[in-house]
Amino acid sequence: MKYLPYILKHLRRNWIRTSSTVLGMAVCIFLFCTLQTVLAAIDYSLQSASAQRLWTRHSVSLVFTLPLSYKARIAAVPGVQRVANSTWFGGIYKDRRNFFANFAIDPEDFLAIYPEIEVPADQRAAFLTDRRGALVGKGLAAKFGWKVGDTIQLESDIPPYRIGRPFDFVIRGIYDIDRAKNAGGDINSLYFHYNYLYEATDQRVQAGTYVLEIDDPDRAGAVGRAVDALFENSDAQTKTETEGAFVAGFVSLAGNLALLLNTIGLAVSFTILLVTANTMSMAVRERRTEIAVLKTLGFPGRLVLGLVLAEALTLGVLGGGLGLLLGWVSLKGLQEAPMLGTVLAFYPNVGLTPLVAVLALGLALVLALAAGFVPAVAAYRGRVTEMLRQV
Amino acid sequence: MTGPAVEIERVRKVYTRDSQQIVVLDGIDLVVPEGEFLALMGPSGSGKTTLLNLIAGIDRPSSGRVRVAGTDVTALSESALAKWRSRNVGFIFQFYNLIPVLTAVENVELPLLLTSLSRRQRRERALLALKVVGLADRAKHYPRQLSGGQEQRVAIARAVVTDPSVLVADEPTGDLDARSAEDILALIDTLNTDFKKTIVMVTHDPRAASRAHVERHLDKGVLAREVSRR
Repeated sequence: MKYLPYILKHLRRNWIRTSSTVLGMAVCIFLFCTLQTVLAAIDYSLQSASAQRLWTRHSVSLVFTLPLSYKARIAAVPGVQRVANSTWFGGIYKDRRNFFANFAIDPEDFLAIYPEIEVPADQRAAFLTDRRGALVGKGLAAKFGWKVGDTIQLESDIPPYRIGRPFDFVIRGIYDIDRAKNAGGDINSLYFHYNYLYEATDQRVQAGTYVLEIDDPDRAGAVGRAVDALFENSDAQTKTETEGAFVAGFVSLAGNLALLLNTIGLAVSFTILLVTANTMSMAVRERRTEIAVLKTLGFPGRLVLGLVLAEALTLGVLGGGLGLLLGWVSLKGLQEAPMLGTVLAFYPNVGLTPLVAVLALGLALVLALAAGFVPAVAAYRGRVTEMLRQV
Repeated sequence: MTGPAVEIERVRKVYTRDSQQIVVLDGIDLVVPEGEFLALMGPSGSGKTTLLNLIAGIDRPSSGRVRVAGTDVTALSESALAKWRSRNVGFIFQFYNLIPVLTAVENVELPLLLTSLSRRQRRERALLALKVVGLADRAKHYPRQLSGGQEQRVAIARAVVTDPSVLVADEPTGDLDARSAEDILALIDTLNTDFKKTIVMVTHDPRAASRAHVERHLDKGVLAREVSRR
């Protein structure tokens, strides 16, 4: 500790250089935090996927719908136990900023396929019997202060679902998911009867996707291929995949998101490493004479090495701390931002987790140590007489 | 401590540059008694600074033995040598070599960081050393706020703050005007006479050398005649 003032004074010596290094490090850590948080959120959402569920969608894109007649045909495929329609409704509650996921489903089949959705028996019965009934997640209900019996209106932007007025719903049930057993379970969605949508739109709409329950997860590939083969020669060809692959594809969209984000993070970290290493080298080069003086005064080489590394570590701590703060503030801000915040609400664990914070700080320290290593060794090895000569 | 402060026996220092061997010191024998004030003179490249560095323990001879303050410094490991330097030798540089980001008192305190003294004790000792060199009132000043002579005084305070028995000075007045140089020489003289420090000083300046008790000349790595002023 007695050397700390000495280290800090050196860092203040060229404050512009120190500040820019700290800022550079902070940006690196900020990016790391944000990217890792996004990746963790995606990973968390994938954990809710069941190996026993398959999803069938239009082979071209999720934008295209599938005929309702497919349900019965899919259900007849060997290995398929149950099929439910699950159609993205895209309903807006009062304001676009209140965005949340809402789906038109075949209630009984859907709830049977998703046993983790826990609804009190009376509410479940009320939901199943009321065509205008809606089942909302606990998180969503808490967000809007909804309770069972409340009436709400949703209006979709999707042309086939626009009927000139909003859809009325009565909240019949509030569901919960035990996240200890079902990590990544979503409690921020709303489900309602597909039949309500179908009739309100004069029976003109089709199904967005079908979710299938299969009897043997090991046969998921074969069942999926069998389903797709059924519609191979139809106008609406299908693509059937496991729930995990479906969710991953949905969140990735542009390909391997995790790889992309990790590559960006790695590139930024490497750049910062070079910048910090250069800064440290310059700082040590400038102070060759001072280092020689320290050694002449009796500072052992190991102590000099330690001082240079401590200086680098201080930069790492400052940069890492600032980066963490930036990350925390921005992730907090994103969650409260219009639209984006609601999208992020899909991922219950968006936010700077202790694990990511510790990893980020660790990264900052490792970067700082790596950057300070070569200059520190140079200071350690430098011969006093040679360093004194190079004034 | 008993015996001479500095005892050098058959010391050779050879540098190898591009497969060429350069003999800087060639079989030097030198004895500096305790409390002596020795001036080392000689033309540039004669090996004065190299000899001084060997005495200060910041360089090692190619062969021979260097015994300072009762210790054979050639036998010490790097870490032991560093520890030994911190206790036994004070070094005064030509260009003062103060740490610019530290105040005068912090510069003087620097060698004391290696001791087990408390923060308060360190500060007291550093202030005392500054008082000895007449700069107690400049304790909080940074090197850039001091004149060359004052900087050298701070450097001297730093050299003596651990109370070493031997002081080595490499052209301590080489960067100073005549008046400041006189002041610095008077201070070094005081350290020798009043504080009984053994002083080995390299200088080009005959006036500076005239302060010493003994003058030794080096030429091409060989010690020449001894001039005694006592």
